[in-house]
Amino acid sequence: MKFGAGKGVFSHFSDKDTRPTLSRKSSGFDQFCSILQSYENLSILDMSGASQANISFITGMGHRISSDDVIGTMVECFGKDFLANQQAASNAQRFLDKSFTFPEASFDGALVWDAFQFLTSPLIEQAINQLFRILRPGAHLLLFFSANEKASSIPVYNYRIQDRKTLLQMPRQGTTDQKSQYFNNRRIEKLFERASSMKFFLTRDHLREVIVRR
Amino acid sequence: MSSQPRSFDPDPVSPRGAGTAALGKNVTIKGQIFAREDLIIDGEVEGTVECQEHRLTIGPNARVQAGLKAREIVIHGSIQGNVDATDKIDIKKEAKLVGDIKTSRIVIEDGAYFKGSIDISKAGAKAASGASAAAPQGVPVSNTASAVANASK
Repeated sequence: MKFGAGKGVFSHFSDKDTRPTLSRKSSGFDQFCSILQSYENLSILDMSGASQANISFITGMGHRISSDDVIGTMVECFGKDFLANQQAASNAQRFLDKSFTFPEASFDGALVWDAFQFLTSPLIEQAINQLFRILRPGAHLLLFFSANEKASSIPVYNYRIQDRKTLLQMPRQGTTDQKSQYFNNRRIEKLFERASSMKFFLTRDHLREVIVRR
Repeated sequence: MSSQPRSFDPDPVSPRGAGTAALGKNVTIKGQIFAREDLIIDGEVEGTVECQEHRLTIGPNARVQAGLKAREIVIHGSIQGNVDATDKIDIKKEAKLVGDIKTSRIVIEDGAYFKGSIDISKAGAKAASGASAAAPQGVPVSNTASAVANASK
């Protein structure tokens, strides 16, 4: 069986996770790497948690990497249903207290991946504010959002860098598929209206890739 | 991590060498530890631990709130503090590390929890860059690369 962007069969989490890992071409990540190559000794935040692949890739380019498992924090604060349980103010505040706990202006870039697509208003706006606080002016972020209007639920992935054009989407163990939110370009532009620039990338699957410049 | 203390053999292949000290799971230390031989910590430590030129192993039952310095550091348990290894840091899948890392080489298993920054020395970064260039498919990820390869057969 061959894997391509957007192909694969998903099933709900069971004790033995049989969901496939997907290999995905990413123009957005390729562009992000081009930006990284233009500078030396940057500090990059990987919000997919620590992984050998991502650490080796970013440090191999001569940059520093920091890790923060934002999805893990969502699991801890929201349990099985991210969208429903973040409506409770106490859960939302717990999430904000535990996330992005780095000093102000720490990073030149962030690999947000698709973490923000599991947040809804007002929490998503608060999370973006908190993320911007720890980014330096001019920092670049790479974000993915679901672009499938018809999807009722989406899996939760960890993203692993295979090379500058290819990412592995690994279904995250210990999570179930989450209710999907649709993000069109307009909605994303509104979320990042404070940004100095934004670039969208065409993809063949139901994932919208965006590079935002703080 | 299981709440039941686990028996721990840091080196299942060869027995603990004569030059290795160990703090068992029922030992608690608050203060500074200096070691001039390999050290295994499987208890609770608060303070600092220094094993210059030697190997420091943090066992699965260990709960460490300390800055660590050694030639090589292997982590199975829980650490809150900065970790500085001149040669290598090896973070096992059951480990939990909150703090900054400074080292020449790092190995981290899938499933390990880490929050903090990683500073790789120039020599280590060049070695990683060389390894990436030699392997155009990227650094192998232990479980997923085989899963994708098997699935595509």
